[in-house]
Amino acid sequence: MNSDLPATPDPDAMISVRHLYKLYKDFVALDRISFDVRRGERIVVLGPSGSGKSTLIRCFNRIEPHDGGILSIDGRIIDEQTELTQLRATVGLVFQNYNLFPHLSVLDNCTLAPRLVRKTPRAQARDMAMRFLTQVNIAEQAHKYPIQLSGGQQQRVAIARALCMQPRIMLFDEPTAALDPEAISGVVKIVNDLSAQGITTLCVTHEMGFARHIADWILFMDRGRILEISRPAQFFTHPATRRARDFLDQMISC
Amino acid sequence: MATSMARPARRGPRRMPVLSAALCGVLALAGHARAQAPALPGFIHDGTLTVCTNPTLPPMTFVNGMDVNAVAGIDMDIAHTLAAYWHVPLVITTMEFTGLFPSLAAQRCSMVASGLIRLPAREQNFDAVAYQDTALVIVARAGTKPLASMADLSGRTVAVQAGTSYSARLARENEALAARGRPPIIIQQYPTEDQVVQQVLIGRVFAFASQDVELYYRQEQLHGRVGVILVPPYPEYGHFALYIRKDAHDRALLEQAVATLEQDGRIAAIQKKWAIAPDPARALSQPAPLFRWGVFFAALTSAAFARGAFITLTVAVLSHLTAIMISIPMALALNGRNAMLGLVLKGYVSVFRGAPTLLQLLFIWNALPQFLPIFREGWFTPFLATWISLSINESAYQVEINRAALAAVDRGQELAGDALGLSRRQVYRHVIFPQALRIALPPTMNAFISLLKTTSLASVISLPELLAVTQMEVARTFEFTEYYAAALVYYLGMVFFLLFVQKRIERRFAWADRHRARANEF
Repeated sequence: MNSDLPATPDPDAMISVRHLYKLYKDFVALDRISFDVRRGERIVVLGPSGSGKSTLIRCFNRIEPHDGGILSIDGRIIDEQTELTQLRATVGLVFQNYNLFPHLSVLDNCTLAPRLVRKTPRAQARDMAMRFLTQVNIAEQAHKYPIQLSGGQQQRVAIARALCMQPRIMLFDEPTAALDPEAISGVVKIVNDLSAQGITTLCVTHEMGFARHIADWILFMDRGRILEISRPAQFFTHPATRRARDFLDQMISC
Repeated sequence: MATSMARPARRGPRRMPVLSAALCGVLALAGHARAQAPALPGFIHDGTLTVCTNPTLPPMTFVNGMDVNAVAGIDMDIAHTLAAYWHVPLVITTMEFTGLFPSLAAQRCSMVASGLIRLPAREQNFDAVAYQDTALVIVARAGTKPLASMADLSGRTVAVQAGTSYSARLARENEALAARGRPPIIIQQYPTEDQVVQQVLIGRVFAFASQDVELYYRQEQLHGRVGVILVPPYPEYGHFALYIRKDAHDRALLEQAVATLEQDGRIAAIQKKWAIAPDPARALSQPAPLFRWGVFFAALTSAAFARGAFITLTVAVLSHLTAIMISIPMALALNGRNAMLGLVLKGYVSVFRGAPTLLQLLFIWNALPQFLPIFREGWFTPFLATWISLSINESAYQVEINRAALAAVDRGQELAGDALGLSRRQVYRHVIFPQALRIALPPTMNAFISLLKTTSLASVISLPELLAVTQMEVARTFEFTEYYAAALVYYLGMVFFLLFVQKRIERRFAWADRHRARANEF
């Protein structure tokens, strides 16, 4: 666990966190969090509502800046000095409610950032967008507007949009909320594909089946602290902490 | 006071194309004036005689024809003759009646020649030089029994032009009536003389007060439908006068000029030209039908109306574009975190939404030059003044529209832009503004249509926009219905065109509507 880690971040880890700390006024959102994630790993963050799961992953692309501790992404320390454009090209984020741009077509949603940030020529950006839209199996909707798509389709567009920046890490905030079982298995396939391509993924979820299917590691949080980091087989059968056991009992009973 | 400051030595642009006409006059009359060049009064700045007038009082000053810039009348002929006498070019500036004296005080005019009566009250602040005899008359519909005295108007309604001295004179009659315990004369004031006459013609008021010369001129248009019922013995209404800023030396020079023109018969020639005498033959010509389609279509297709509408549309578009440009940063600041800046902006919005637009226009045009002499110069045209005041006024409304539209864009959109690595500028330019634009468009178009009609207020500061043109035409012809109808057609035409444009633009926001988005599929 945390006590096993060296005091300085591991430069070879994809994500390395030491004593990460975040406050909202006087509420401690993240409390001395430390862990390492290796390239291509699939991490699932579990925990009750308000435990700091979303805050944690949002620190990784600095949408939520942390207040203390050390955060290292791909060997680079992230702080006020960090060039955000570059960081955000490295770390993609898919929001819980997708936040697609309603005034742009699916294709334009995907090409906007590459064209503006990476200055990719239009035709090249289109080709790349079509490749990722094909990967998430939604290429035929490329010319529609987001409002015309179902929730599952919108999520796949959001994933393709993030992939167009060719990130090395993908963050998913509740990717399975409001999806039907069929759509969830689609997300499982996408995450596995990404992992196979060497992209590190972190998912915040409440869906136990989903977590069990995709996770290399389960990261269990409560009240801003990490209580447990285990393999899914161990976490779901023999959770180490009482808090995790209670949490699992509640999730299964409802 | 600022009014005594000399005008900077920069010549302003010509406001009226009368310069050439004045020069022609100079050449034609060169024979008369060659003998000696008379001394120039101080009110002739930069060698130009600038005369302010409100051209709605025939035959003294009015627009005689379709060209609103061609001001004619006895006063204008006097002005031309004076310019020729002094060998200087003439510039005529037209404006609302109530703006004449403020403009004279603000040094925007050398002289006011606008059918003004010589009055002791006015002479307290300005110098007056008489050039034409006249008399005040009380006029009622034809067939009304003549009155013995002003006291007989007790309890009756009398219409007068706003800003003239008639209402003050009638108020003094009312004091006398009140002393005797009799009901007062009810006074109604209208902005133009033609509206005053119209009230009597349609029977809304009993009588109107006017000058005899005007009535003579109106004989033909009025077709004997009105008649003089009383000539009250007011000695102070005996003369029309030219007004200048107080200066004994200038007044002496102007008196000398007028005396010279009277002696050499030039003023007599002008009086003869405008035939200011009773003429029953002209008065009893055939009355006109209710609506003359020919007049209506002539107005509709006239260059004057097209030009007025063009000015209306141009000043409205420019003002609104400026307002939008000012109000976007203001809206961003209002939604932002700087409390101090927010407070200042809220104050700005309160002041400019609270004060009447008309007051703002008058303030910028008439009061500003008192504090800042730079606004007296020629470059500060009525168009520019209207543009500035309407921009400021409209920005106070537009900022609320923008603020609400920006706040209505989901906060997640900004986050999504951030997460993709877009800069702040790019987030606003490509993500937030396009969505806010759709939300802001309908209320903005509404505000623009409202602004388009608000431009009609600019007639008070002499901007020849559509309504000002209409009023000048009506003052000349008394053909109310036809000209009002033509103006109505123009305004409606412009508004319907704008609504059509709005529909076209809204079609580009198909993404906001599931059904229309589907119809756009390809």
